Amino acid sequence: MNMSYQMALKTFPLILTFGSWMFAGKSPRLKDIVLSILAILFIFEVVLFFQNPQELTGNYSFFALSFNRPSIFVGAIMSGALFMGLFPVRRSLTLNRNFLLLLGSGVGIILADNLPTFFFFYFLQRGVPAWNFLKNIRNGDAQTGSTYVFQHLICLLCAVYVMAQAFSQGILLTPLPEFPSTFFTVDILIVSIAIIFQTHGIFPFHSWVHDIVDNLRWYEISCIFLPRAGVLLFVQLMLPHFGSDPDQFKIALLSLTIFSSIYWSFRGIYEQNVQKEVTYFYIAQASLIMAGLQANEVALRGSYLHMMVISFSGTALWSILSYIQNHVSLKKHQSYYGLAQDFPKLATIFCVFGFCLIGVPLMASFVSEDLVINGLLEQQPYLGLGHIFATCLNGILFFLLFSKLFLGNNPTRGKVKMMDMSLLEMSPYMIALMVLFLIGVMPFLFLEKITW
Amino acid sequence: MMMMENFFRLSLISPFVVMVLLGLSFLLRIKVNERILSTTSKYFSLYMAFLGLGLFIMAWHYSPDELLLNDGNWIKFAHYTFELRFIVDLLGATYSLLTACLIGIIFRFSRNYLHREEGYFRFTFLLFVLWFGLNVVSFSRTIDLLFVGWELVGTTSVLLISYFYTQVQPVRHSVKAIVSYRICDMGILAAGAWAHHYLHSTDFTELPKLLSHDHGGKALIFIGIFIIFASLAKSGQLPMSSWLPTAMEGPTPSSAIFYGALSVHLGPFLLIRFHDYIENFPSLLIAIGVIGGLSAVWATLVGRTRSDAKTMLGFATITQVGIIWIEIALGYTNFALFHMVAHASLRTWQFLRSSSLIHDFFENPVVKQDVSIRRGLSFLSVLNPEIQRKIYIHALHSFHLDFFTMRVIRGVSYPMKMIFAVEKKMMNWDNKLLSRIIRK
Repeated sequence: MNMSYQMALKTFPLILTFGSWMFAGKSPRLKDIVLSILAILFIFEVVLFFQNPQELTGNYSFFALSFNRPSIFVGAIMSGALFMGLFPVRRSLTLNRNFLLLLGSGVGIILADNLPTFFFFYFLQRGVPAWNFLKNIRNGDAQTGSTYVFQHLICLLCAVYVMAQAFSQGILLTPLPEFPSTFFTVDILIVSIAIIFQTHGIFPFHSWVHDIVDNLRWYEISCIFLPRAGVLLFVQLMLPHFGSDPDQFKIALLSLTIFSSIYWSFRGIYEQNVQKEVTYFYIAQASLIMAGLQANEVALRGSYLHMMVISFSGTALWSILSYIQNHVSLKKHQSYYGLAQDFPKLATIFCVFGFCLIGVPLMASFVSEDLVINGLLEQQPYLGLGHIFATCLNGILFFLLFSKLFLGNNPTRGKVKMMDMSLLEMSPYMIALMVLFLIGVMPFLFLEKITW
Repeated sequence: MMMMENFFRLSLISPFVVMVLLGLSFLLRIKVNERILSTTSKYFSLYMAFLGLGLFIMAWHYSPDELLLNDGNWIKFAHYTFELRFIVDLLGATYSLLTACLIGIIFRFSRNYLHREEGYFRFTFLLFVLWFGLNVVSFSRTIDLLFVGWELVGTTSVLLISYFYTQVQPVRHSVKAIVSYRICDMGILAAGAWAHHYLHSTDFTELPKLLSHDHGGKALIFIGIFIIFASLAKSGQLPMSSWLPTAMEGPTPSSAIFYGALSVHLGPFLLIRFHDYIENFPSLLIAIGVIGGLSAVWATLVGRTRSDAKTMLGFATITQVGIIWIEIALGYTNFALFHMVAHASLRTWQFLRSSSLIHDFFENPVVKQDVSIRRGLSFLSVLNPEIQRKIYIHALHSFHLDFFTMRVIRGVSYPMKMIFAVEKKMMNWDNKLLSRIIRK
C-alpha cells in the first residue's frame, strides 16, 4: 500500500467531519449532512474492520494518526450508535456546527497515534462545552459548569506533565503502543490513571459529569463518551505494561471503578429527572467497561463487547427519550408518567434495550458481564462480588426508570393520540436489537471477531 | 437414551422458537389474531405435555441413572469456558412435566379470562418466555446455565405483575418484586463465580466430588450460603417475603402460575439440586430449616389477618414452601419434590378459582356446603387472649418486616447520601470561585 493511499485512508474520516464543519455553516440541511457523514463513516469502518487490515501506523511526526483494530472498532461503534440514535429523531433534531466539531474531534481521539495528537483532539472536544460554560458564567447566564472547567484544567495539567516526561525521555512522538515499560514510573502511572478515570467520569474524577448532564443535549453527551478516550488510551498506552498479576495498586483501581458504577447507580436511584436518570444509568454501565479492561484477558474481551452493547443500547435509550420529550413534556416531576399508553412500541423497545444493558440472558450484555465477572474473580473474588452488586443496582435503577417513564396512570390519557414512531423510523433500533440478540444467543460467532 | 435426548432437545428448543417468532412478529408489526394465538397455544401445550410426559416416563424408567449432555461451549475464550451442560433426571423431568401441564391449564383458562384484553399477546409471549426459562432451569447442569433460566423467570414474573400497567399499585409492587429478585439473584451469580474460582467448575454433579478434595477450605461454604440466599426471593422466604403477597396484582392466571405454582417453587428446586453439596455443611441445613420454619410461622400468622382471597393464598403459599424447606433440611428431598408438585397443583386450582370465590360461596351448592371460613380455629387459641391480641396486632403489620427492610436499605444508602451532599457543596464552591475569577 503506497504512502499517499495510506495517508488518504487515515485522514478520510477527519477530512469528512472537519471539512463539513468548516463548509456546512448554518446550512438548513445540517442534520442530513451529519447523518450522511455518520452513515459513511459507519460503512467505511465496518468494511475496514472485517477486511482485517494491516495496521496503518504513524510515522513519528507531531501529528500522527493510525488505523488499528481497536480504533476501527471504536470508530464503527461510535458512528453506528450515533446514526442509530439520531436517524429516528431526525425530524425534531436541532443540530449546530458545534456538534460537528465534537464529532470530528471524537474521530481524532479515536485515530490519534501519539500523545500530542491524542491530547490535542481530546482537549479540543472537551474544550467546546468548557468554552460555552465560561461564556455563560461571564455573561451571568448560568452558574453551572465550573466543576467541568476545573476538572478538565487539572486533567490538562496532568496531560502536560505526562507529555513533558515523555519529551524528556525523547519518546513524545512515539506511537502509543510502543511506549517502553520504563516510562511508567509510579507518578506517571498515577497521573495517567487520573486522566483515564476523568475521561470516563469514574470516581473520584467524576463531578464534571453533573455539569454536562445539566447543560448539554443527549447527542452531545453521547459524542463525548462514545470515542471512549479513556479506553483507547488505556488499551494502547498502558495495557501492554499492565501486568496481569494482581497487585495492590491494580486492586485499588478496580475497586474505584466498581465503586464508581455503584455510585452512579445510587445517584440514578435518587434522581427525579428522567433525562438525568438515563444519563446516570449509562455512565454507571460505562464505568464497568474500565473494570473489565484492567482485570485480565477474559474480562478484557467482555469489556470490548460491553462497550459495543452500552454504546448502542445507551444511545437508543437517550434517543427514545428525546423522541418522547418532543411529544410530551416531562418537566413536571411525577411519580409515574404512564407513557406506555401513548408509546406502546417505544416502551417495549426501551425495555428491551434496557435489558441489553442490565445483563438479562439472551442479550449480548449477559455474555459480556459473564466474561467481566469471571475475569474480575480471577483477580480478586471480592471484586467480582462488587461487580455483581453493581450489576444488581443497575438492574434496579433501570426498572425504576422504566416504570417511572412508561408505567402507571397517565393523567393526560384521552387527550393524546398514539404517538409511536413509524416502522421506518424504528428500523435502526430494530436492527441494533436483532444484532444484540444474535450476539446474546450465539456469542461464539462474534467473540472471535473482536480480537486484536 | 437417544429418544430421551431427542425429547429433551425438542422440549427445550420448542418454546424458544415460538418465543422468537412472537417477538419478531411484534417487532415487524405483524398482528397475530387472538384466536390463532389461543389455538396455537392449546396445541402447543398438548405437544409440550406429550414431550414432558415422555421425558418423565423415561427418567422414571432410567432412574436413578441420569442423562448427562454436553452440548459444547457457548462461550470459549482463553481458559474460560461457558459450557452447555444439561442433565435429564427425575427432578428436572418432573418439573418440566409440571410446567407443561400447568402452563397448558393457564392457557386454557386465559382463553376466556383474558378474552379481548389488549395485553393478551403480551401475556402469551411472556408465558412462552417463562416456559423456556423454566425448562432451562429444570435441565441445566451448571450454575451459569441455570442462571439464564432463573433470570428469565424473574423478568417475566415482574413484567406480569405490572400487567395492568396503567394502575399505580401493580407498578409499585412489580418494582418491589424486582428489587427482591435482583438482590437475591446476586446469590446465584456469586455462587457461580465462587465455584468457578475455587473449584473451577459450576457443574453441580461435580461440585460435591470436588468438595472432597477441599480446594478452597472454608470459602466453599459460601457457595451453599449464596445458593440459599438466591432461593429466598423466588420462594418468598424470610426476610424476602413481603413482595410475594403484594405480587398478586397481576392477572389471576399469572398469579396462579408464578406465585402459586412454578416460580415460587424454584427456590426449593434449587435447594434440591444442590442438596448433595449443601448436605456437607450441617450448619447450612440447619439454616434452611430455621428459615423455612420461621417463614411458615410468620406467613401463617400474617395471612390470618388478611381479608382478600389472593393475598391469603399468597401467605398460605409461603407457609407451604417454608414447610418444603424444612423437608429439604431434613433430607427428605423426594418427599419435598412430591410436596412441591402436589402443592403447585392445588394452589393453581385455588388461585384460578379465587376470582369466582364469592360466586362459589353464595351460589355454588357444592362448594357452599364445604367452604367455611374458620378463623377462630387457630393454634394460638391456647394462649392468653391478651397475648393473642398482641400477636394479632403485630401480624397485622407483618411483624414490621417492611419497616426493618427500609431501615436496612437506608443504612446501606446513607454513606452514598453523605457523598452526594459533600459533592454538592464542593460544586457550589467551584461555581463561586470560577465566577469570581472570571468576573474580576
